[in-house]
Amino acid sequence: MVEENFAYGRSFIHKLDPKIRIIASIVLSFATALCDNLYLAMIYSFISIFLILMAGLNTIDVVKRLKPLFWFLLMIWIILPLTFEGDILYRFYGFKITGQGVVLCIKITIKSISILFLFTALIATMTVASLGNGLHRIHVPDKMVFLVLMTYRYISVIEQEYKRLLRAAKFRGFNPGTNLHSYKTFAYLAGMLFVRASLRAQRVHQAMLCRGFNQKFHTLDDYPPNRLNSIFLMGICGASASLVILEMIWVEI
Amino acid sequence: MIDNDSVIKLEDISFSYTGSDIQVLDHLNLEINKKDRIGLIAPNGSGKTTLLHTIMGLCKPDSGTIKVFGKILNNEKDFLQVRSKVGLLFQDSDDQLFCPTVLEDVAFGPLNLGFSRTEAIDIAEKTLKRLGIQLFEHSVTHKLSGGQKRLVALASVLAMEPEVLLLDEPTAGLDNKVKKKLIHILNSLDISYFVISHEFDFANAVTDKIYSMENGRILRDDEIHIHHHEHVHQHGKHPHIHK
Amino acid sequence: MHISEGVLSGPVLATGAVFAFAGTGMGLKKIDYDRIVHVAILASAFFVASLIHINIGPASVHLILNGIVGLLLGFAAIPAILTALILQAVFFQYGGLTTLGVNVVVMAVPAVLAHYLFLPMLGKSPTLTFIAGFLAGLFSILFSSILLGLALWFTNQNFFETSLAIITAYIPVMIIEGIVTGFCVTFLLKVYPEIIPKKK
Ligand SMILES: Nc1ncnc2c1ncn2[C@@H]1O[C@H](COP(=O)(O)OP(=O)(O)O)[C@@H](O)[C@H]1O
Ligand SMILES: [Mg+2]
Repeated sequence: MVEENFAYGRSFIHKLDPKIRIIASIVLSFATALCDNLYLAMIYSFISIFLILMAGLNTIDVVKRLKPLFWFLLMIWIILPLTFEGDILYRFYGFKITGQGVVLCIKITIKSISILFLFTALIATMTVASLGNGLHRIHVPDKMVFLVLMTYRYISVIEQEYKRLLRAAKFRGFNPGTNLHSYKTFAYLAGMLFVRASLRAQRVHQAMLCRGFNQKFHTLDDYPPNRLNSIFLMGICGASASLVILEMIWVEI
Repeated sequence: MIDNDSVIKLEDISFSYTGSDIQVLDHLNLEINKKDRIGLIAPNGSGKTTLLHTIMGLCKPDSGTIKVFGKILNNEKDFLQVRSKVGLLFQDSDDQLFCPTVLEDVAFGPLNLGFSRTEAIDIAEKTLKRLGIQLFEHSVTHKLSGGQKRLVALASVLAMEPEVLLLDEPTAGLDNKVKKKLIHILNSLDISYFVISHEFDFANAVTDKIYSMENGRILRDDEIHIHHHEHVHQHGKHPHIHK
Repeated sequence: MHISEGVLSGPVLATGAVFAFAGTGMGLKKIDYDRIVHVAILASAFFVASLIHINIGPASVHLILNGIVGLLLGFAAIPAILTALILQAVFFQYGGLTTLGVNVVVMAVPAVLAHYLFLPMLGKSPTLTFIAGFLAGLFSILFSSILLGLALWFTNQNFFETSLAIITAYIPVMIIEGIVTGFCVTFLLKVYPEIIPKKK
């Protein structure tokens, strides 16, 4: 379930320092999110598609990741054009579709897909271990980094426990449906997960004590300085800055 | 017995979990000396894991004394000092391996002992090599198989260069190949160890004497032949063992 | 419960980020090194439990369970929820980077409030325990969906109908989360009461 499918490529992007990738994706994501101009939003989407191509990812897998977004977009495409105030584009049976509503939907669609694409290209292409390392080096507090790494580490362990519990329940005739008994069973399963998690946390903590844990976390990964890193970061920041400035001037006109 | 040969000595240890009135350890005595290779075979729930956790200071006994290298351990600070000398291999490797990658996990102990990064990496690499699993160095821990996890967990304990090793059911859930490997590794160690197992063959292959546990106490070889006898009969297939 | 990327305005994103940052800082401060493993692995359980699908008639919804996390962790629920959201973004692309702050506020503020409002009611009697759990579950989702609606409404008042639609869509989820949370705390209090924080 928590497979790092994209993390093991050999592309130019995979070779970049995680820290650089995190900073670049923050800068570019926010620039995209703040953009309010349809044409500039399209430029951001070209950049994000370009990054996906550079990362050499499987297109189908990348598009599949948009599924959660798809439902949201579907909803706003149904609601916004009908409810947004503005010039009426089209009228039928008392419903009015407004131009502004449609334009906003297009903008949101382009921007949201762009932001997710560049997240996929820059962040999902690293292992969680590298993400932790990168976060550590942009001075995210140790405890936060540790939480991310540790939580990730035990997701698959707890998922296995969940599967075993659910299988055992199904062997005993549990057939999930829309009824109180099913909800109660799932509540107990979830409760059991929390119990197991807590007991496991005790043992893990004991194991850490046995190995001399002294409230300090260490990271080992080393990323030698590489000119590509700074060139990439400057490229991304430069592009974002010029697009932001361009939008400001555009509004002036 | 000469006292400076003694590595771990438990005297009159009693322990029960808070909120339960079962004496898991009841005036228990145990001594592990230098070069000792001791096995412990006892049914589930007889308190084996609790015993190991008491030695490590993870369970605080209600009464009795724990001596490690001749020094009585009373508080957390005393235990902290000996934890690097006594290595405990946990029953479930997932409890023990909590770092993202194998190398980080094995280096975690040495780093805590104050070694520099390069030294720690060096120690970790050497330990992995010693156990023949250097290929996994950069693997992501939770994606390893059960057997690989067990070996990495053992490496993470051995990397701290303990003087005595406590192993909690190291063969549970392993296939024969890994079991053989484990037998080979344990037999090549020159430190004393105390190993809990459910498998008589395994315990026999890696230890010189076998204890059992009953009613919160340790039973030595001479007291446990009855148990083996029953055990063997229960499982039918094996030849009788009469000591 | 996530708000999508590319919708919210700069000021709303910034407000979310500032509150999430402050809340995470406060939460981290409350987690000492003896408890950090506990928080982390409960966050793993939260991540897994939130993938449980529950049927409502022909449709199915996944659990959210921020109420339970709030009850169990208090302020520490904020960094725990942030952690789960980061990992959900990495693995399922439920969101991206810019909405992380807003989403933490949407999920974690009701969770922390549920802790202070409903924890004192737990354990008084079986009925009261179930009711407290039910209210914690229901309230968390209700408040989360209202916060989500507000984030949209502050972005553009034309989002009013969209916000209402979202809150309405979450009504069945509120009821299910209430029932599940009620049974879940009853279960926890019975089999492993140590997991419920002591009232101060
Ligand atoms: N954390 C705990 N709290 C309460 N009782 C426990 C706990 N851990 C173990 N026990 C009880 O202590 C007894 C011994 O357990 P354990 O040492 O794990 O046995 P073994 O390792 O020999 O199977 C069992 O009866 C078990 O139920
Ligand atoms: Mg045991």
